[in-house]
Amino acid sequence: MPAKVMIVDDSKLARIVAGKALAELQPDWTKVEAASAAEAMERLEEGPADVALIDFNMSETDGLELAAKLRVLYPDMPIAIITANIQDEIIARAREIGAAFVPKPVTADGLEAFISGAALTLRSQRA
Amino acid sequence: MSLSVDDNLQSELAAMGASGTWHWDIAGDRLHADHKFAELYGLDPETALAGVSPQIFFSAIHPDDRPRIRIAVAAILAGAETFSKEFRVIAPDGQILWVHGRGQCHLDAVDEPVRFTGLLVDVTERKRTEDRLRIAQTAGRVGTFEYVDGFATASVSDTFCRLLGLHPAPALPSQTINGVLRGGEEPLIPGPYAGEAPGTLNGTFQIVRNDDGEHRWIERRGEIVREGNSYRLIGVIYDVTHAKMLEAQLRELNDNLEARVAAEVASRQSVEDALRQAQKMEAVGQLTGGVAHDFNNLLMAISSSLDLLRKRVGDDPQVVRLIDNALAGTKRGAALTQRMLAFARRQDLVSEIIAIPQLVEGMLDLMRRTLGPSWPVEVDFPRDLPPVVGDANQIEMAILNLAVNARDAMPGGGTILVASNCEHIDIASSELAPGSYLKLSVIDTGFGMDEDTLARAVEPFFTTKGVGKGTGLGLSMIHGLAQQLGGTFTLESRAGEGTTASLWLPAATAAEEQSDRPSDDGCDAPTQLHKLKILAVDDDSLILMNTSALLEDLGHTVFEASSGDEALALFAANSDIDVIVTDHAMPGMTGAELAEQIDEIRSNVPLILATGYGELPPGFRSGAVKLGKPFSQKALADALSQAMATA
Amino acid sequence: MIPIDVSLSELERDALTEIVNIGVSRAASNLRKMIGDQVFLSVPAIEVVSQTRAARLITEREVSDLVAVRQDFTGAFAGRALLIFPEENSLDLVRAVAGSELSADEVIEIEQEALAETGNVILNSCLATMANMLKRSLSMSIPQVVRGTGASLFAAEEQGTEEGLVLFLYIDFAVRSRDIRGYIAMIMDLPSLAILKGLLEDFITRVVGDDLP
Repeated sequence: MPAKVMIVDDSKLARIVAGKALAELQPDWTKVEAASAAEAMERLEEGPADVALIDFNMSETDGLELAAKLRVLYPDMPIAIITANIQDEIIARAREIGAAFVPKPVTADGLEAFISGAALTLRSQRA
Repeated sequence: MSLSVDDNLQSELAAMGASGTWHWDIAGDRLHADHKFAELYGLDPETALAGVSPQIFFSAIHPDDRPRIRIAVAAILAGAETFSKEFRVIAPDGQILWVHGRGQCHLDAVDEPVRFTGLLVDVTERKRTEDRLRIAQTAGRVGTFEYVDGFATASVSDTFCRLLGLHPAPALPSQTINGVLRGGEEPLIPGPYAGEAPGTLNGTFQIVRNDDGEHRWIERRGEIVREGNSYRLIGVIYDVTHAKMLEAQLRELNDNLEARVAAEVASRQSVEDALRQAQKMEAVGQLTGGVAHDFNNLLMAISSSLDLLRKRVGDDPQVVRLIDNALAGTKRGAALTQRMLAFARRQDLVSEIIAIPQLVEGMLDLMRRTLGPSWPVEVDFPRDLPPVVGDANQIEMAILNLAVNARDAMPGGGTILVASNCEHIDIASSELAPGSYLKLSVIDTGFGMDEDTLARAVEPFFTTKGVGKGTGLGLSMIHGLAQQLGGTFTLESRAGEGTTASLWLPAATAAEEQSDRPSDDGCDAPTQLHKLKILAVDDDSLILMNTSALLEDLGHTVFEASSGDEALALFAANSDIDVIVTDHAMPGMTGAELAEQIDEIRSNVPLILATGYGELPPGFRSGAVKLGKPFSQKALADALSQAMATA
Repeated sequence: MIPIDVSLSELERDALTEIVNIGVSRAASNLRKMIGDQVFLSVPAIEVVSQTRAARLITEREVSDLVAVRQDFTGAFAGRALLIFPEENSLDLVRAVAGSELSADEVIEIEQEALAETGNVILNSCLATMANMLKRSLSMSIPQVVRGTGASLFAAEEQGTEEGLVLFLYIDFAVRSRDIRGYIAMIMDLPSLAILKGLLEDFITRVVGDDLP
């Protein structure tokens, strides 16, 4: 039961790294990439995603704002905020929105808890 | 409890010398400690193992160290990975120990700290040693470093940084460290791509200190620790500039010593060369003297014969002229042999009145030919220059010698000025007595002499010319000549400004001028004496024959002897012999020796000693008359008159 | 001349060192994850110096041009964080982070971005740890890559403002088998440093409590 994951990061390198970790955990899942919040919205208009991995530190709209928007649009979508900014405050704000927190740099180990949780959620949604 | 594994580990650690181990369960907020830890902290071992409040961790720590350890532990609990602190622990008996607490924070998958484990090691001894080492290093200004291959930085001590003039830091890039090197050397610390470990850490480096730009010498010592494929360098550096400077000074002294020895050897070499040159010239002189002597005898035979011949050929003017020409030739030949003898230093100085301008005028042609076209000779003589007393030949020689020196001082050519003026000396000096002198100068515009060369110029054997070019005797001989004539010789020169060489010759007094009337030594009628019986002695039969002929021509009776022995026999057999004419230089018995023997038989017999040589044995009897060879009939007649007058 | 009120006491320095150390530990761990090779970080040496002196310190140690990733932060205290390394290390670092399979052209293409991302991870680790430990929040700007000499990196930007002080953290990070090393520096003005000092005092009080000398 493959899922589609949207990876939003203004760094191409970071998107590659996140994609690699994801492929290690869920080889079947597909991914769609966006370099900014605006581009993410465009991609979603083209077709919905099941899961979102969002970098926090982006220009214009930051990751938390984008996550808040997506939460409104897709209340059940598993969303993770990815950042090296591990401030307690950021983590708390992510929790408020109902987003998971994944520290940067992204590794399979670091991503595993979120992805397995997301897989469970998706399975129950589709059941 | 899942402590059983840790229990084993802790026993092992304890056995390895740990003074105690702990296991801080962060989530459970309990501190578990082994019996050694408990012992150190004065805790009940059982309770400690089961778990106590984590705050116990700080209880035995010295109050002064407690704040900093609390901060470090707080950092661990917040996610710092490693704990490595040294602090003091007060044991239950009040003893203060230094311990090294080394711990590790274990994180879960999301980097949350779970437990903090570690061990305490008693480092009191090491701490004291370290203190001593640190003090020794600081006092001894020894900097330490540690480098693991493959890294771009090295761990260094503050002193290390200060020695290189770098800002103190615990780690420095190899590049920064090697940046102080003056270059060309191997690096002080290898770079990350150095590859093989260096062969040794022992080495000396020249650096430019980064802060003050001072040039220093740095010594490096240390050990290379091999760890599998890689290596670790542990070493020290210290400043050896002072020692290097002393070393350099010593080396300089040594170098100087070598140079001084070399100079001494060179100077000896040059003296030896000069001596060898002098010996060579001496040999040439001997040879020349010998040849000149024989040649002189030949000339005498020729001129005497010509004298006699002239009397007998009558008045045919053509024949007389031819004979006169031949006689003039023998006179010139005689002059030549005089020069050769002078060169061989075997000629007495003749005292005669000389007008210097005429003398110089007469030798100008010779000078010009000797010197060459690039060195024109000019003369500058004032009127009324007084004549001098001296030996014309010798003075000519001196002038020629000085002119040659002047030429040699001007390799590119130049005018040589021969000038003269009259000087009056009122106060006696070491060189000159008061009186009037004629100063005869030879002046060039050549490269001159520096003070040192000037001071040594008249030393015998001193020459600036290469071996074989000069005898090194020229100026000293000239100096000797001038002194012999009652004058002196001076040199004025400055490097680059030419040289003035001056002969100071005493002006002739009126009396001397009067007494010296040029006389014709040609073939005027000889002074008439009554008939004498004369013993003529010469080892050269040609000369003997010639002398006899001249004497017989004068009307005397001659007994001939070809050796001293023969002469003594004849003299003993003929008690009426009035006078003896003998050659001096004869093999077996010299003329002088013969005279002594004659005196034994009969004292005060008039004696004429004929010789081409200047030297007569000292203390030679005063009654003897000297006759220079070759002699004319007139000279012989005059000598006879003189000898008979003293008898 | 550093005013008395911002010069740190021994304990404050200790506290700051430990706090930075936590951040550095995280940064090291993060860099390890990115590079997949051993990363060694020195214990941070902390100095409060003038910008001029900071420039001199870095120039003394690094002769070549430098590359820096710059992130400004605002919040309880404000300033600028710099991750600095020699320019000649730049491509090495990119290759280490982005993987050795990249071609030379690709490395150059993503250089800027890879540097920014590396700086982002490392500086965020440090700054976020500081914020957490001092119980204040900080906002971080998007990282920027700048190039220049030590002097230009530390040059005061706004005209008329007095020269800022630099909390100079020497953190040598060395990557085994690669000639990579770097420094972290934080530039703060006097008011920010005074606030930082106050926060450090709070932190010490919290942690040390009754054991305060």
